[in-house]
Amino acid sequence: MSLVELKDVVKRYGNNTVLNGVSLGVEKGEIIAIIGRSGSGKSTMLRCINGLEPIQGGSVAFDGRIVNDPATDLRELRQHVGIVFQSFNLFPHLSVEKNITLAPKVVKGMQQSEARLLAEAVLRKVGLGEKIDAFPDQLSGGQQQRVAIARSLAMQPVLMLFDEITSALDPELVGEVLKVLEEMARDGMTMILVTHEIGFARKVANRVVFMHQGKIWEQGPAAATLGNPNTLELETFLSAVLH
Amino acid sequence: MIRELALIDVLYLIAAMRWTLALTAIAFLGGAFFGLFIALLRIAPFAPARWLGAAYVNAVQGTPLLAWLFVFFFGLSIVGVTVSPWIAAAAAYSIYAGAFLGEIWRGCLQAIPQTQWEAGASLGLSFSAQLRYIIVPQAFRLAIPPTVGFLVQLIKNTSLAAVVGFIELTREGQLTTATTFRPFTVYLIVAALYFALCFPLTQVSRRLERRLHVAR
Repeated sequence: MSLVELKDVVKRYGNNTVLNGVSLGVEKGEIIAIIGRSGSGKSTMLRCINGLEPIQGGSVAFDGRIVNDPATDLRELRQHVGIVFQSFNLFPHLSVEKNITLAPKVVKGMQQSEARLLAEAVLRKVGLGEKIDAFPDQLSGGQQQRVAIARSLAMQPVLMLFDEITSALDPELVGEVLKVLEEMARDGMTMILVTHEIGFARKVANRVVFMHQGKIWEQGPAAATLGNPNTLELETFLSAVLH
Repeated sequence: MIRELALIDVLYLIAAMRWTLALTAIAFLGGAFFGLFIALLRIAPFAPARWLGAAYVNAVQGTPLLAWLFVFFFGLSIVGVTVSPWIAAAAAYSIYAGAFLGEIWRGCLQAIPQTQWEAGASLGLSFSAQLRYIIVPQAFRLAIPPTVGFLVQLIKNTSLAAVVGFIELTREGQLTTATTFRPFTVYLIVAALYFALCFPLTQVSRRLERRLHVAR
C-alpha cells in the first residue's frame, strides 16, 4: 500500500474546479516534484494531503487512513506529515527555539530540557545551530525558511510536504534552502514538493508530476519526463520556465 | 437652602471620583468577561456560535446604554425585583462594555493572518492550543491601544449612571449644584476631574500605539 494515495480527488471553490479527478500514489522514500503553471492545482493538491483543504469528491489516504473522513483524527495525522509554506509562517512572537519546541511540548508533552536538545539537533541539520535564541524578524528569508523546515522536522514526520518554499526568496538565498532539502533526500525522507526549480527537480526528484487544468497531465521519472516530454503542454511549460 | 460653593464641596466631588473609578472597574471587568466570550464566539469554527455572538453585539451596539440602565433599574422593579443602583449599573455596563470589547478583540484576533492558524494546525495543535499559544499572544499586543481607548470612553460614560441615582462624580455634581446653585462652576470642576482621569490614559494609549508601530 502506498504511503499517500489520492483517488479521483475533486476540489471546487464555488463553481471553479481546481482539482478535477486527481489520482496519485506515493511510496515511502519517494521524492515527488510537482510542477505546473500557477492555478494548475499543484498547491491545492498538496494541501489536501494533510487535510488543510476539504475536498468535494474522491478520497485522500495517508498511511492507510482516510484524510477526508470526518472521523479521522487530523491532529494526530498531522503530527506525521510536516508541511513547509511559501511564506515561512514562523510565529513572529516566539524565538527560534520556541517556534521549534512549541508543538513537541504542547502536542507530545515533551519536557523543556529535552525539547531544547531537540531544537538544537534539528537546527544543526539545517545549519542554523547558532540562531536558536534569535527571533524570526532577525533572520534572512532563507534562514527563516530553514527554521520552518527545522520546526517541521522536530515532529519527526514520515512525510514532508513543501509548498513552493523557495518562491518568496531572493535568488541568492534559494541555494541554501535547496541544500537542506537535498540532505533530507539523502536521509531517505519521503517528500512531495511543489516547485518552480526545474533543475532541482531533475536532480533530486525520483518522479515528476506535471499538473495542468486541475489534472495530472503527465508524470514519470524525473530525467526522462523533463528531458523528453510526451505532451505539448509540458513541452510548452518547460520551454517557458527554462527561458 | 442655598449656600456658597466652598472647598469642602470640591473635596466631596473629588471623593465622588472613587465611585466613578469603582464603576469603571466593575464595568471593565464584567465587560472583559463578556467581551472575551463574545470575541471567541465570533471567531468560532461553528457557525451558530458566530451568529449568536453577532446577534449580541448588534443588539447592544444598536441600543442606547441609557435604555439598558432603565431596563435593569426600573424594568426589574416593575416585575417586583428590587435592584440597587449598584447592581443595575454593574449589569448594564458589563453588557454594554462586553459588546464593545468583544468587537475590539474580535478584530484583533482576526487581524492575525490565517496562515498562522494553518501553521499551528499543521503541527498538530488543537484549535484551543493554536488560540492560546499562537493567536492570542499576537492579538494581545494589537489589542492594548484600542482597549485603553475604550476604557476612556467607559470612564466618561459612567456619568450616565447618575440617572438611576448612582452617586458618582456627575451625580455628586448635580447634588452640589442643587445646594450651591452654581452650575457653571460646579460642572466645570466636574469636567476638569474627568479630564484628569482620561487625559493620562489617552497619553498612555497614544504612546503604546506609537511603540507598536515602531515594533512592526
